[in-house]
Parts: sequence; structure tokens; C-alpha cells
Amino acid sequence: MHRRSFLQSAASVAAISASPLFGRRARAQGKNVLRMGFADEVLTLDPIKTVYGPDILIQGIMYSRLLRASADRKQLFPGLAASYEISPDGKTYTFKLADAKFSDGSPITAEDVAFSYTRMRFQKDSAYAGPFTALEKTEAVDPKTVVMHLNKTFTPFIQNVEIWNSGIVSKAAVEKLGDDKFAQTPVSSGPFRLVEWKKGDRVILEKNPNYYRPGLPYLDGIEIIYVPDDNTRVSMLRAGEIDMLLGAPYQLISALAGEGFQATPEPSSIIAEMLINHSAEPFNNVLVRQAVSTGIDRKAISDAVTLGLAQPASSLMAPVLNYFNTDLPVPVRDVDKAKALLAQAGKPNLSFDLLIAAGLAADERTAVLIQSQLADVGVTVNITKVDSTQEWNSLVDGSYQATLNWWYNETPDPDVALRWAIWGAGENKSYYTRYNNDKVNALLEQGAAAPEGDARKAIYFEAQKIAYDEVAQIGLFYPPYRNVYSTKVKDMKLNPGLQFSTIDEVKLEG
Amino acid sequence: MDRFAFVLRRPLQLIPVLIGISLVTFILVQLMPGDPVRVMLGPRASEEAIKIVRARYGLDQPILLQYGYYIINVLRADFGQSLAFRAPVLDVILARLVPTVCLLFYGLILSVTFTVALAVAAARRPGAWIDQTVRLFCVAGLGLPSFWLGLMLIILFSLRLKLFPVSGFGASVTDVLWHLFLPALTIAIAVTPILTRNLRATLVGQSAADYAVAGRSKGLSENYVFFRHVFPNSLLPTISLLGIVVSFLIGGTVVVETVFNVPGMGQLMVRAVLLRDYFIVQGVTLFFAVGVVLTSFVVDIVTVALDPRVKL
Repeated sequence: MHRRSFLQSAASVAAISASPLFGRRARAQGKNVLRMGFADEVLTLDPIKTVYGPDILIQGIMYSRLLRASADRKQLFPGLAASYEISPDGKTYTFKLADAKFSDGSPITAEDVAFSYTRMRFQKDSAYAGPFTALEKTEAVDPKTVVMHLNKTFTPFIQNVEIWNSGIVSKAAVEKLGDDKFAQTPVSSGPFRLVEWKKGDRVILEKNPNYYRPGLPYLDGIEIIYVPDDNTRVSMLRAGEIDMLLGAPYQLISALAGEGFQATPEPSSIIAEMLINHSAEPFNNVLVRQAVSTGIDRKAISDAVTLGLAQPASSLMAPVLNYFNTDLPVPVRDVDKAKALLAQAGKPNLSFDLLIAAGLAADERTAVLIQSQLADVGVTVNITKVDSTQEWNSLVDGSYQATLNWWYNETPDPDVALRWAIWGAGENKSYYTRYNNDKVNALLEQGAAAPEGDARKAIYFEAQKIAYDEVAQIGLFYPPYRNVYSTKVKDMKLNPGLQFSTIDEVKLEG
Repeated sequence: MDRFAFVLRRPLQLIPVLIGISLVTFILVQLMPGDPVRVMLGPRASEEAIKIVRARYGLDQPILLQYGYYIINVLRADFGQSLAFRAPVLDVILARLVPTVCLLFYGLILSVTFTVALAVAAARRPGAWIDQTVRLFCVAGLGLPSFWLGLMLIILFSLRLKLFPVSGFGASVTDVLWHLFLPALTIAIAVTPILTRNLRATLVGQSAADYAVAGRSKGLSENYVFFRHVFPNSLLPTISLLGIVVSFLIGGTVVVETVFNVPGMGQLMVRAVLLRDYFIVQGVTLFFAVGVVLTSFVVDIVTVALDPRVKL
């Protein structure tokens, strides 16, 4: 073979083999397509299979619930249920369904609702049945009526029927496709339906023509684009390749606001905190917990890490939640008092390991500040950086002394939140801190059964006060959401429960 | 054509290489701390759900047994189910293959073009100002980390000049060429200096070789000697080096794809490691390994085709 002809043929083979590989790229039809940049990737479209942030967000967009939340999650409006009634004993909920259809055009019936709830509550691999443990049975009485039977009076229940994993799925579709296929090619009941899911790249949604709210959604479609790199996500927003992004770095918020983007931090239900292991030395001693808590300057940490965008923490849940105990002050740093407490505990030379997940800049900064603040008290903090999943395993096993973590809450009701954080009788042992106070456990049960009002408020105030005095956890600050929107995006808001609850009313202009 | 007999032999040698690679990746992946199921279900998932999913993927089985199943399945062209994406590994990887292959070829075409132009310009008059400028470029290019260079190119060409997009892949051929220009340029700036220095040195050396001197003494023009004799004789070392560089680049896509958000295999690899998606990590590693072996195979073929003296 002549060498020149060899090179020529090699080049043409390369050209030919490359060209037919480009498929036509699916797009949501129409101009009004909102492009969102997510730092993490959507992993499943089945609402009962996950408690993972990006999944929760997209599932909230794809599946309507019986009730619909306002943009700030404070109010509930009729959703797929046009009305509901609660029996006088608070144990029976009767929902009357509105006329609504799935994205495939089939009607949404009581059977579908009963199926969705039974599946979410009782299917063994349902990831987040916790908020619904009071639910014993869901039955379809007639095509428009669903009755739910609770095994006890449970006031927060009506708030919980808005949680994303109670989204209504089509019984026919799930049974026909099976769980795994359904999670890839679902039928939706929400404002948007799936066009194509390009794994590791983007999820393309389009307007659901059968959506139950007439005239909505305003958008023609949504593309959820996975952009793991913080800088790239911001560059894409600046270049107009996405219309909004979730999770801008704190240090870029004011710059982006200055460039004309909508970059006002939105209130979240997140609390950033230091979890401490009550089942092991040294935090099994209340005096040590109080000493460490007193030795930490929450305001300084919050200001340094979030550049003043977050409020320092007082209680163990976020202030956006109902019955947040406003009487508890943010603990004031007092080095002498902390030293005295340590002397009283008989631990003048305390040292402990603080586990942090590698690669989280905010956590690393927080850990270093805690380390230096506690050094003034005479406490040695050894910061151990591990992989985030290893941190989780240590947390779950209880093989840690202290670790930095955070959580958010779906509903404004404090029940789910406090059961997550300080309910020692729960599966997660007070967020794996092994804090277990019988009084607190009993209060949380009472609170769940009490009707809304001052009595319920008093119960939750007391539970928070006990946990505060005993230092169940060391809350640090309440970070806001750092979403940034281009000026074209109108009325977009992430509610504190991590849902775009009014996404059907969002518009793109200009 | 018996000089090309190795073309038939070589694929057989691939088998033990792949078995070795699969064993090493499998063990490495198992050594990674962490729990894929907890990552994919989220921190607030119930213990029972986690246990069930773990059993479904066979992650509760002894490691040796898991490896046995894995090998048997791979032999049947079944690379397993991705834990994170809940889809067949092969489908997930194939969906990412095209962007990475395009990016590599694009980067290589740019690199080779730059290399030939710069090295020839520099080698025609060693020590002249062109040569010095090229040398300066080479030193600078070698010193720039890709992720930083990528960010700078984005700021200059995408945000300031608005000539190229920040991210993505594109739908048609021209669209892809436009989208991938900056990532390919990043690759080219990283690779060109290595190749240019090599080619320039060989060109300078060969220009003083006996056959070149003989050619000149017989009255051949300098251009004729250079392009007809010196240049072809200088290509082989650079082509061998190119093979090694491509092998590095296959791994280097991890950085470039992340910076430019190209939905390719490199980005998938990073993601899979973070998500502890064992089967994707193993699958991508196998693909990368095959890519590296194929590259050296292609280099061998090209070498044999270019130089009649070479026997393999």
C-alpha cells in the first residue's frame, strides 16, 4: 500500500465512522423551555425509591399529590383531591378526587390513589415510608372517593400528603411496566411529562397536555441538565446556556446579583450541624456536650462559611418550621464557662475526632473554625477527612465521635423533623446520634396526636427546650438555598421543603 | 503481506490483558470505602429499603462469588446493571462513547495539525526567532494545567467574545465541531508541546543525517530534501509517542469533560466513582483499557504501513 493512499483511506474511514453516530437530539417542543443546571444527577423517576435531592425535585415536578402547596409551602390548596374530610376522632381521612388525567390520557381514579399510597407505605423497598407509619389502609370506595384509615390520631398527616413520595402514579402503568421500567419511562400526573432521559446528561420534560389545572403549565418544557462543576454551572448561566442553577457557591452570590441575576437567597428548612455520638466517650457526658456547645461561636462560623447569608442556629430544627421554639437564644460563646464545665466533668484535657466528608469546602471551613475555637477552651479537635459514604457508614454504625452534617424537612409541621432529629425510639436513633430521652419521645407522640393550637405548641416548645438544654446535637446555622435565576424566569421559587411547588405557574419572558 | 500477520495475532493477546485488568479493577473497586446503595437511595432512606436493594444487586454476597458472576456475565457481553442509573451498564456507557471518541479525534486532529506546523517551522532554521517562539509556547503549554486552561478559555472565548458555547455536545456534525472546539483546543494545547518538541528534535537530527547531506551535495533543493526525505523519516518516533499520548488522553478526558460539561465517558467515570457505582467503574475501565490497547495496535499498523523495514 502506498503510504499516501494509506493515510488518505485512514482519514476517510475515520470521517465516515464518525458521521452517522449523531442521533437527532430530542428536545422539548416550543420556545418556552426552562433549562435548569443541577449539581447532582437525577437517578430515578419513581417517587418511592429514593430520598436523594435531585430525584425529589424532579419527582415533585412530575407527580401531583392530593394537596398542592403554595410557593412558600405555608398553605395547602386542593390538588388531585378537590376536597377532604377528617373524622372527629382524627383517624379517618376521606378525599374526594377532582377530574384529572394522567399524561397518557387515562383518568386518575381512586384506585390509582389507593395503589400509590399502599405502594409507598407498604412496599418493602419504599425508601421513605417513615412519615406515613400511622397509615394503616387506603381504600377506593368509589372511582372518586378515597378513604385512608390511620391507626391513631395523627395531626401532621394532612401536611404529609403533600410530600413528594405520595405523588400519584398510574396503577395500570406500574403494573404493566413493572417498577424498574416505570422508573425509566413513567406516566406522570404532574404538570410535566418525560420526553427523554439522557443518563448522565439531562432529563427532558415537556408540558403535560392532560394536566389537571386548566391552562397550566405556562412553560412548554423543562430541561434538567446535570453540571457537576460549580464554575462551569455559573459560566453556563452567564453565557445563557441555562436559565437557572441550583447551589451557587456562597462567594459568587453577590457577584451574580451585581450582574443582574436574581440571586436572592431563599429560605430553606436546612440546618447545618455537628452530630455527636451519645453512645460513646466523650459525648455521653452532658457536661462535655454543654462545654463544647458553649465553646463554639455559631455566629462567627456562620458568617465565615456563608458570608453572612445564614442565621446562626438556636434550636435543632429550622425556624421556617411551625412551632419553632423562639424562646431559645443562640448559645453565646463563653470560654471560661466552657472550661469550668469541662473541669466539672473531670475532662480538662479533652480531645475528640471530628469526621468530615472530603471535598465539601463549607464543611472543611466549618471544621477548622470549630477546631480553633475549641482550642481556646483547651479541647483538641482532630479533623479526619473521609469519603462521604464512609462518613455515612460511620454515622449509621455509631463508630464516630462527632461529624458535620445537615438535613432538611419536607413539611412545615415539626413532627417529621423532630422525629428525624431527636426521637430516640425511631429507626434512625435521633439522626444516628443515639440521643434517647423518654420524655422527649413521649412528647413527640403527644404532639402528633394533639390538635393544632397552643397545647401542641407547648409540647413542641418543651421537646426542643429539653434537647437544647441537654445538647442533643450542636446546631450551627440555617443555610438558605442559593439558587440563581436569569431575569427571564418569573415566579420561580424553591419552597423550604425542597419543592418547586408552583412550577406550573412559572413563566419565561423576554 | 506477512508483515501484517500480527494484525490477526494481536487480538488474542488482548484476552489475558483484559482478564488482568478486570481483576485489578474489581479488587480496587471493592477496596473503595463506602456504600453505593446508601448513596443512591439518599441518607434518609429506610434501612429495610437499603437491605433489599443491596440484596437485589448481589452486594451481600462474598466478594469472590461476586467476581465469578461478574466474569461469567461479561463473557456473555453483560456488564451488569448500573447501581446509580438502574440501567444496563453497556447502555449507559455506549450513550457516552460518542462524545468522548469525537472529543479525542478532534483533539488529536488539532494537535497533529499544530504539531506539524510548529515543528516544521521551528526545525527549518534551528535557533532562529521562530524556533525560540515555538520553544516558549512548548514550555508554557506544558506548564498549564488543563482544568485552569479550560476555565480561561471559557472566560475568554465563551463569556467575553461569545464565540463558542461553554458546555455540551451538539446535535449535527457542525454543531458538534462548534461545541467541542474549546475542549479539543484544551487537549491540543496540552498535547502539542510534547509532540512538537519530539518532532522538532527528530527533524533537526535527520536534517544532518548522511542521506540528507548526500541529497544536498547532489544538488537537490533544500525544500525537496526536507519534505521528501527528512520529514517522512522523522515521523516514526512521533507516531509512537502519539500512541502513548493518546493513552494518556483517554484518561485525561476526565478533566476536560468535567470542565466543559461534555457528557462523555470521563465525566461518567468521575460520577461513577463518587456514586460508588461499582459496575460502571468496572465497565468504563474495561472500555478505557480496550481503547489503550487498540491505540497501540493502530500505531503498530501505521508504523508497519509507513516503514517497509519494520517487522512485528
